[in-house]
Amino acid sequence: MKAATWTGVNEVSVEDVPEPTILNDHDVILKIRQSVTCGSDLHLIGGYIPFMRAGDVIGHEFLGEVVEVGKEVRDRKVGDRVVVAPFAACGSCWYCKQELYSLCDNGNANPGITEGLWGQGVGGCFGYSHAMGGYAGSHAELMRVPYADVGTFVVPEGVSDTRALFASDAASTGWMGADLAGTEPGDVVAVWGAGGVGQMAARAAMLLGAEQVVVIDRVPERLTQVRTHVGAEAVDYTTTDVVAELRERTGGRGPDVCIEAVGMEAHAPGTPGIYDQVKQQLRLQTDRPTAVREAITACRKGGTVFTLGVFAAMVDKFPLGAAMNKGLTLRGAQVHAQRYIPELLRRMEADELVTEHLATHVMPLGEAPEGYRMFKEKDDGCVRAVFLP
Amino acid sequence: MDLPGIVHRAGGALLGTLQHVRIPGVGQASVTDDPATSARRWRAVTVLRDQAAVGTPEAPPPPLDRFGDRIEVRLTAAPADRGTELAARFRGTPSEAEIGELRAALREAKQLLEVGEVLRVDPQPHGQRKPTPQGAALEGMTEQAPKEGVL
Repeated sequence: MKAATWTGVNEVSVEDVPEPTILNDHDVILKIRQSVTCGSDLHLIGGYIPFMRAGDVIGHEFLGEVVEVGKEVRDRKVGDRVVVAPFAACGSCWYCKQELYSLCDNGNANPGITEGLWGQGVGGCFGYSHAMGGYAGSHAELMRVPYADVGTFVVPEGVSDTRALFASDAASTGWMGADLAGTEPGDVVAVWGAGGVGQMAARAAMLLGAEQVVVIDRVPERLTQVRTHVGAEAVDYTTTDVVAELRERTGGRGPDVCIEAVGMEAHAPGTPGIYDQVKQQLRLQTDRPTAVREAITACRKGGTVFTLGVFAAMVDKFPLGAAMNKGLTLRGAQVHAQRYIPELLRRMEADELVTEHLATHVMPLGEAPEGYRMFKEKDDGCVRAVFLP
Repeated sequence: MDLPGIVHRAGGALLGTLQHVRIPGVGQASVTDDPATSARRWRAVTVLRDQAAVGTPEAPPPPLDRFGDRIEVRLTAAPADRGTELAARFRGTPSEAEIGELRAALREAKQLLEVGEVLRVDPQPHGQRKPTPQGAALEGMTEQAPKEGVL
């Protein structure tokens, strides 16, 4: 079958690969209907997460049709159209019972790597390096999904493929940020990053009752989407002092909730941006935390900063003093998608949550290398490239 | 000289070493014990099952049972609603390889008790594997990963 693979730093290819097979009794095999690029893939492709092997199939945000079921699968059957959580979670361990699915104890077959890096093993994510389980990803014609009763969700008939696709990751991650940051009615919420996750975090904050939601980015097409499709306010950080703007908009308080949806390759104008780029290229820090720093500075006293963007290891010049003295709550997580997908599908069916606009470029799987180029360079206003196997 | 094999083994060894690195910020998982103390530590997983379902020290759950009397096993109720702490250690002084086998066995026992089967990831679809030193090192690392870690 055809699949999009990582073949080297900044190199994506389409190769012929063997078809997947059922390996565990709780598996299903899916025929992939749609699979989409995610900003976190760029960290893998760019070599920032050095646990990729040439030939690895990438992709973790997807929707497909069940074509084969393992003998212990109870709730899925051949023909089901399902959207899938990016993290494989068993549903039986203590973390899954707490709905912290991306922390599943039994979802990562290579626990030694993340235990060594972070002190604890974390869950496994499809198509996201050997540190995160070594699973083949979803940019393929067929894919094996373990723990299928826990991680796959039947899409209601009235919800289109392209809308449901984003329940997999962008919408569930965004919703998780707004939810676990404790967004309450009347809050002011600021979101750094107007990609798919940032837009969905903003929309989630609005649906959770936030009075004012402001999204910060620099890409004109994305800022326009924030205004037109999400209904939130948009600020261009290249022309606006973000912290001053947020202070002015909030009566001098700062946002109650600050959600960072940028990750380890943040851009910044001027000296801070150059500083972080140089340190990262010299391997003196692994991640560029520009947006997190700004969120901590901007956040109101006693507020919450939630990191949705993916970080790998270490950052420099982290304003821990501000965080401590302002009494902030710092929180972050990989997506606990299983916790949110059912509600997201209900809201999608009710047209409360609209995602189709994120799919700015839909193309055959064979064009995945070009899709990732456009996505990385934000060429032609690309927000997300969706692949059709 | 078997260079790919050397790099492959080096990748596995690097994973073990990672826990012993003591650079601030990197060594969260450092083991600062001397090797003899480290080898004698109880290695444990917490299983979300009642103690009666997990087993007894005399009859530990598979695959721990295959170690026979080379290991001692301890079962303790975990606090709150967290299930049972299943711990094991060698009676004598084990080698690094034996400790690795025990880590993997504890993880497998937990999966068998909680899920009913052990997660597999091989064989997986993949494209051409270029014969690079980085690739060989990573393959060594992943081969060793189930037996490594802070457990």
